[in-house]
Amino acid sequence: MISLQSVTKEYETPAGMFSALRDINVEVRKGEFVAVVGKSGSGKSTLLNMVGGIDRPSSGTVAVAGTEIHSLSESQLALWRGRTVGFVFQFFQLLPTLTGAENVMLPMDFCRTFPARERRQRALELLERVGVAQQADKLPSSLSGGEQQRVAIARALANNPPVVLADEPTGNLDSVTAGAVIDLFRQMAKSGTTVVIASHERDIARVSDRTVEVVDGTIVGIATDPYAAPEAEDCA
Amino acid sequence: MTTPWRKVIRDFWKERMRTALVVLAIALGISGFASVMAAYAILTRALDEGYLATNPASATLRTDRIDDDLISAILANPEVSDAEPRRVVNGRIRSGPVEWRNLMIFVVKDFGNIRVSKLNPEAGAWPPALGEILIERDAFRVARARIGDTVTVKIAQGKEQTLRVSGGVHDVGQAQARMENMVYGYITLATLAQLGEEAYLDQLNILVAQNRFDEGHIRTVATDIQKLVEGRGHPVRRLDIPRPGKHPHTDITGVMLLSMSTFGLFVLVLSGIVVVNLITALMASQVRQIGVMKAIGGTRWQIARIYFGQALLLGVAAIIVSLPLGLLGSRILCRYLAAFLNFDINSFAVPVWVYLLVALVGLVTPLLAAAYPVWKGSGISVREALADFGTSRNTFGTSVLDRALAGVGGSVRPLVFALRNSFRQRTRLALTLLTMAAGGLFFISALNVRASMISTLDRLFAGKKYDLSVALGNMYPSEKLARVINNTPGIVRGEGWFTTDGTLPDPTAAATPGNAGSSGLHSGGVAGGGQGSGGSRGTRVNVIALPPETNLLKLEIVEGRDLLPGESDTIVINSALAKKLPQLKVGDPLTLQMGPAETTWRVVGISRESFSPSTAYIPLAFIAERHPGMANNLRLVLNKTDAASINAVKTSLERNLELEDVRALGSLSQADSRFSFDQHMLMIYVFLIVMSGIIGGVGGLGLMTTMSLNVMERRREMGLLRAIGASPGFVWTIVVAEGVLVGLLSWALAALVAWPVSKLVGNFLTRVVFQTGLEFAFETRGLFIWLAVSVLVSAAASFIPAWRASRFTVREALAYE
Ligand SMILES: Nc1ncnc2c1ncn2[C@@H]1O[C@H](COP(=O)(O)OP(=O)(O)O)[C@@H](O)[C@H]1O
Ligand SMILES: [Mg+2]
Repeated sequence: MISLQSVTKEYETPAGMFSALRDINVEVRKGEFVAVVGKSGSGKSTLLNMVGGIDRPSSGTVAVAGTEIHSLSESQLALWRGRTVGFVFQFFQLLPTLTGAENVMLPMDFCRTFPARERRQRALELLERVGVAQQADKLPSSLSGGEQQRVAIARALANNPPVVLADEPTGNLDSVTAGAVIDLFRQMAKSGTTVVIASHERDIARVSDRTVEVVDGTIVGIATDPYAAPEAEDCA
Repeated sequence: MTTPWRKVIRDFWKERMRTALVVLAIALGISGFASVMAAYAILTRALDEGYLATNPASATLRTDRIDDDLISAILANPEVSDAEPRRVVNGRIRSGPVEWRNLMIFVVKDFGNIRVSKLNPEAGAWPPALGEILIERDAFRVARARIGDTVTVKIAQGKEQTLRVSGGVHDVGQAQARMENMVYGYITLATLAQLGEEAYLDQLNILVAQNRFDEGHIRTVATDIQKLVEGRGHPVRRLDIPRPGKHPHTDITGVMLLSMSTFGLFVLVLSGIVVVNLITALMASQVRQIGVMKAIGGTRWQIARIYFGQALLLGVAAIIVSLPLGLLGSRILCRYLAAFLNFDINSFAVPVWVYLLVALVGLVTPLLAAAYPVWKGSGISVREALADFGTSRNTFGTSVLDRALAGVGGSVRPLVFALRNSFRQRTRLALTLLTMAAGGLFFISALNVRASMISTLDRLFAGKKYDLSVALGNMYPSEKLARVINNTPGIVRGEGWFTTDGTLPDPTAAATPGNAGSSGLHSGGVAGGGQGSGGSRGTRVNVIALPPETNLLKLEIVEGRDLLPGESDTIVINSALAKKLPQLKVGDPLTLQMGPAETTWRVVGISRESFSPSTAYIPLAFIAERHPGMANNLRLVLNKTDAASINAVKTSLERNLELEDVRALGSLSQADSRFSFDQHMLMIYVFLIVMSGIIGGVGGLGLMTTMSLNVMERRREMGLLRAIGASPGFVWTIVVAEGVLVGLLSWALAALVAWPVSKLVGNFLTRVVFQTGLEFAFETRGLFIWLAVSVLVSAAASFIPAWRASRFTVREALAYE
């Protein structure tokens, strides 16, 4: 489902070139629940961005759900992203002037994935699934953090994408709520969606199928990984 | 409705205060444009409709005594649908004891059956009985008379007679009496006889049967008639063909309104700048939302559409606000101009094309203004938009200017703050300054244009050293005239001149004899109800013969030299005439037709004379060779020039002229002739002041928007200031100080460019209205007045944003993401 080969990412900074990712090779199968862990600044977000087509690698190839991402133009990429990848962010990132249900409908409007008349119904079902159906017609500012993140998860599922990416989805939640949110991702993976979560908390490893640990832009270890990644080359 | 549209509407509504400011700014521009365009449509239609309703003559022929046989002969021509005789007689009128006014009397054969160039009865009697006169409705104020009054009328040959003003008429095709400073009266033939004039009619108003609007056809028919009339032994003195179907003022009104509409468009452009600021800030504040929308599948174009939608809503709201405003404005404008041009508007209905044009302009303006910021803002990549990295885009401190500003210390802390703050959003500051400075520019220009026009007129009138000019009905021996001058108290000195009309021979048209011997006083006048009809006849030139070394006229020679004593074949032409003869150079010969004869002169100089019709100056010696010691025009210097003294002189001069048996046609004081210029000038001035008010309003709204954006973006900082102990008053002060600073900067900008711009604007406007250049003068008072206005407006504009800023709490500041 996800395949990264020899992916590197370099940023230009005032202090010179900075390597955020070095020679990353990862394969993720359909329905797998993968956790990417590592300290802050280790390159987790950068890695997720590569997978979600938010950023392009400096070298190497990224293929997701059978598409080589680098072959797409910006607007093709947007459409592809809307249909193939669901995003969940640390700060929820709901649009403040749209209600919960409307936030969920927005990806369907953008990608025209469902008939216009069915979109609201589908949004309500998704909200129901993540347990915030009551909040469907409220604006984000009147929801708690946990509720907002659930709406965000429903939004990520709006177009029924094969892949869901979550960057520190529990970073702004208390531990009880965080647990509930992680459970939602767990269920998602069970029903066949590929889930990749980045987190700086190692606890996540306990619920994931597989854990990829990143240090300074290099994968240093993969737990319960049947396809061992090649040794990271030291190119510091 | 799709979700993106919901977002458009909610975002629009969420910031409704700020949105309202911008809507208002656009609405000001649209209203201005709509008023002018609607007024243009209404006025040009009403002018032409009103004019056509009078069945205006296709051509006017002047001959001698017209009899019924002649009329029947003309009507036998199938191309002629109607021919009606009339007569125009010049004279003077006075109501009350002193005031003499120039009078143009129209003698109508049968008031009950006017078929060509109709008159509309307005009030009182119709038709006038024997011994009664009707007055044009706009002329009542010139005559200072009312219906029922008794007035004294005197025409060329006759004695003073009293007539009763029995009614008022509206003569649609006539130039406004007030502007011409002339009274139009309407009488019957019998009354004409009573006035001591032979009772006959000599003017033929002709209406063609077909192709009423085809000038070429009219000319052919009119020439045939001219031949017929001449063939029957009546000499044709003059043939006038006005532009068919067009009120003589339609064109100038149209040009004036259309040039006004360019100013309306200019205001729209300025309001577009306010939209640029608003949308730019909106895009900046929604960077994250844009990133999220892209992440969940929105393309650049889909996202751009959301923000274009906002711009579209701004336009729609502005159009809704400005429709009633624009219609109101157009009515005010129409009423004002209708009164000014002396005609009635039957319908204020605005044609559909005006609505469409206004709607189009109103929608397109904000969309165009939004185009760049929206396209740029929606192009941001998801990564950039969502990154925590590098969100602090505040780059203050990186440029030379910033460091220079940081160097500006000072003990007045709020001021230092304000100074540095105002320079943080460079583009926004620049655009705000632009809109505000435009208002100032217009205001300063308005005062400059006024000052320039005054100085131009001063200069023009400074060369004319006489206070009163009197046109005589014939030429008279100078000794006679000298006696009159000596015997009249109040006259310091005077000269006898000779004025006449000439025509530039027109090779294309059959030569029509000029109107020799007629009054050269009131140039460009309304003789016979139609101004010289464009280029179809040879250009008319006022010819003025000056005594050698005259003391009463100092020509401003710009090329060549003045006339010299002892010459008789030289000529000096004024700038208006020189402009019509672009290939003519000093030293060239110039041929003028005067009366039946053509004379060729040698051009020795060109004199500058603003606001004047084509005029040529020749030595009086030329006249003296033909009529030794004669003059037909008096130019007089008076010892007192107030209105009462002038009138007193006029009255006694009148008596003395009569004693010497000299017939005067009319007199005009310099004060009176200047008055009509001042009237026109006032119009331009008022227009510019109104414009600067509107633009200043847009500028004020723009500043208010900017300040409100600044405050919103710096909410966190304001809260932090409060956290470290700043009082609300302090926060309030720095915001207002920033606003005032921007106001001051805009003033400086306006002051800097005011000179060249007001020169340009002044020249443009006077060229449109007067077809003449301008003597530029700079009115420094404008600078100071606008300084005060800028400070007040900018303080007022930042008042509410400052108040809001001062109320941000520490909690809000820190919670703000
Ligand atoms: N746009 C950028 N320009 C330069 N350096 C960047 C940029 N984005 C991220 N980085 C750097 O790349 C490294 C990895 O960042 P990131 O992937 O966000 O780490 P994580 O998500 O694990 O905290 C960090 O050191 C960060 O400073
Ligand atoms: Mg991260």
